[in-house]
Amino acid sequence: MSNYAVLSKDHHGDLKVITDRGQAYGDNVMHSMTFALEFRDIQSCYPIFFCKDTETGTFYSTALLGLEQDHNLFLSDTGWDATYIPLTVRRQPFLIGFQPAPENGETDKKPVVSIDMDHNRANKESGEQVFESNGEPTQFLQSTINILENIHRGLEHNKGFIAALIKHELLESFKLDITLNDGSKHQLQGFYTIAEEKLHKLDGQTLGELNVDGYLQPMFMAVASFARVRTLIDKKNALLDG
Amino acid sequence: MNNTINRLVIVGGGTAGWLTAGVIAAEHSCASNDQQNSFELSLVESPDIATIGVGEGTWPSMRSTLQKMGISETEFFRECSASFKQGTLFSGWQTGAGNDAYTHPFTAPHGYAETNLAPHWQPQRNNINFADAVSPQSSLFSGKLAPKQISTPEYAFQVNYGYHLDAGKFAEFLRKHCVEKLGVVHIKANVTGVNTADNGDIASISTDSHGNVAGDLFIDCSGSRALLLGQHYKIPICDKNDILFNNSALAAQVPYNGDGDPIESCTLSTAQTAGWIWDIGLPTRRGIGHVYSSGHISQERAGDELLSYITATLGAKASAGASLRKVEFSPGHRTKFWHKNCVAIGMSAGFIEPLEASALVLVELSAGMIAEQLPASRAVMDLVAKRFNEKFLYRWDRIIDFLKLHYILTQRKDTDYWRDNCRQESIPDSLQELVTLWRHQSPWHRDSQHVDEMFPSASFQYVLYGMGFHTQPNQTVRRSEQAEQKIAYRLFQENAARTQQLMASMPTNRDLINKVHTYGFQKI
Repeated sequence: MSNYAVLSKDHHGDLKVITDRGQAYGDNVMHSMTFALEFRDIQSCYPIFFCKDTETGTFYSTALLGLEQDHNLFLSDTGWDATYIPLTVRRQPFLIGFQPAPENGETDKKPVVSIDMDHNRANKESGEQVFESNGEPTQFLQSTINILENIHRGLEHNKGFIAALIKHELLESFKLDITLNDGSKHQLQGFYTIAEEKLHKLDGQTLGELNVDGYLQPMFMAVASFARVRTLIDKKNALLDG
Repeated sequence: MNNTINRLVIVGGGTAGWLTAGVIAAEHSCASNDQQNSFELSLVESPDIATIGVGEGTWPSMRSTLQKMGISETEFFRECSASFKQGTLFSGWQTGAGNDAYTHPFTAPHGYAETNLAPHWQPQRNNINFADAVSPQSSLFSGKLAPKQISTPEYAFQVNYGYHLDAGKFAEFLRKHCVEKLGVVHIKANVTGVNTADNGDIASISTDSHGNVAGDLFIDCSGSRALLLGQHYKIPICDKNDILFNNSALAAQVPYNGDGDPIESCTLSTAQTAGWIWDIGLPTRRGIGHVYSSGHISQERAGDELLSYITATLGAKASAGASLRKVEFSPGHRTKFWHKNCVAIGMSAGFIEPLEASALVLVELSAGMIAEQLPASRAVMDLVAKRFNEKFLYRWDRIIDFLKLHYILTQRKDTDYWRDNCRQESIPDSLQELVTLWRHQSPWHRDSQHVDEMFPSASFQYVLYGMGFHTQPNQTVRRSEQAEQKIAYRLFQENAARTQQLMASMPTNRDLINKVHTYGFQKI
């Protein structure tokens, strides 16, 4: 269970955060949420797909890290074997929360940094210091806030991106049948991908609009990222062979 | 006489009129939407006559009907106070005792296409009821759970479903869609007369505020008044009150006690001393009514039974606040539905108690057949009309047989109503023959004479075995039996596992409806 608290130097002066990568720190996940503004970095390592939030049924984009639940193929005893780690993984155990900001109007809310105090990364013994002894945020916290702001901005932008995909019916469900070297068959389902044929048939005006909104390039990056499925299958086979 | 049929006039709004308009306009693009053709579909609706708003339960067929019309299921849920319906729970029909209940779920028994599980279930009948043995659906709706999740695309499902809806809101929703999206012309006027052509066809109808409205085919959706087929053409009604006695209803709309109260995902049908009570859960209210035989019980007594039902299920306060609306009807249907260039759909065609929610599905099927077989010219219209009449007379007979089946298997002897229902002379020969046969072989695909039967043999199984009916085991040893036994055993196991899995993963009916209102379904 998560136990989020608003981060403050008064309560969290001696807090440290472990930044090592590992199963113990919740990194062994099949996929991790991403957003269009991050696709350039994501597609260099991982395939990008879309899936539905089970609570709301709404679509979000995600970086595929493994081929089955609770198994990240990039994670090993020595850490995370990839040149780029998704921001939604790196943000842990921090989160942007929202507090009412009555000074800016009754319904206005201001972003605040929160931390999951039950997360295995949060402790007092080892890892990165969050606050300096004088109460100033450390370099580590500064860069974390930077990540959180990027995620926040990215997710806001992504709402329009997803809406555009739905409006132009550019998402389609797909099933991936995988046969591994040992002959075992696996099926990846519950994911959606960009309908490439429909994307190619969009008229010039629509393409222009998508481009202005910054949605066109990430669509093609998501399409191109499909080739990274091969990386996942190779890693899975290597585990079998090894 | 080879003029083409391209001007359709529907007389009457309400659910039947607008649903008919939607089904036809979904197939034939209208001139006001598309300059290339000259097909016109108009609907003349009286601004003065309130729609009766019957039919608050649908079959699963409504999903594809709405989808074909290009309706967003999310919008439908939000605008029509819709809820999920997965079947019917019948209480008190067999013995009238407190624990007397069975279900008729929408999902056919597991593996039904290849295997008839009924004979294999019979030896187990004391351990598990038929519906639970062969389908997960009754467990789901007994738990007031939904048939799908919010991440399931619109119109798709984990288990089959239809809807409960607010009929008044539904007609308005369809009207808006038909006029704004499908190019149907809405004429608000009262019909004052019918103008006949030399060949006896209707040339046009006169209206009070819109002059004459001419057409090639007139669809009578004017309700029980049957302005065109009944009043103008005098096509008589074929009474069925010797078979199905119910001819009156008292209806109430009752609020929930709290906003979070569970919403049933099946229709509740509870037998009384001379009729039965429907109970339909919408997100906003429950529609509860008593349909009864006025020959067996007074209106006052019928009202008392309804109020005591409401007291028992929702409390004395709900009962005290309920206002009862009386509806009278004569069970039966027209001797034909299509005459000359006029066809009746909805209550103008016939009316029968809503025991299996057959009203709206008949509208869907009638409109569907007109949309599909729209006569190319007046010359072939009589042939299409003949086929239409044959098909729908057959369908009415099957509906009447199936409804009557619910009554004749009862062990109740507590009132004349239940005793009279079992009298031999009240049972159609066609039904009596089937029941005699089913004592020796269980219903199966062989009992379907037509590819598009109203009620599949699976429905007969649910009612028969729900009501405690016994089919004799085979008298001879069949060589195929051992292999079939194995398959049946596997199917029972699979159904049990699937039931468990669905019970753990489906949201409650109310939770899902709330989420549809908040987030909506995705199209994929």
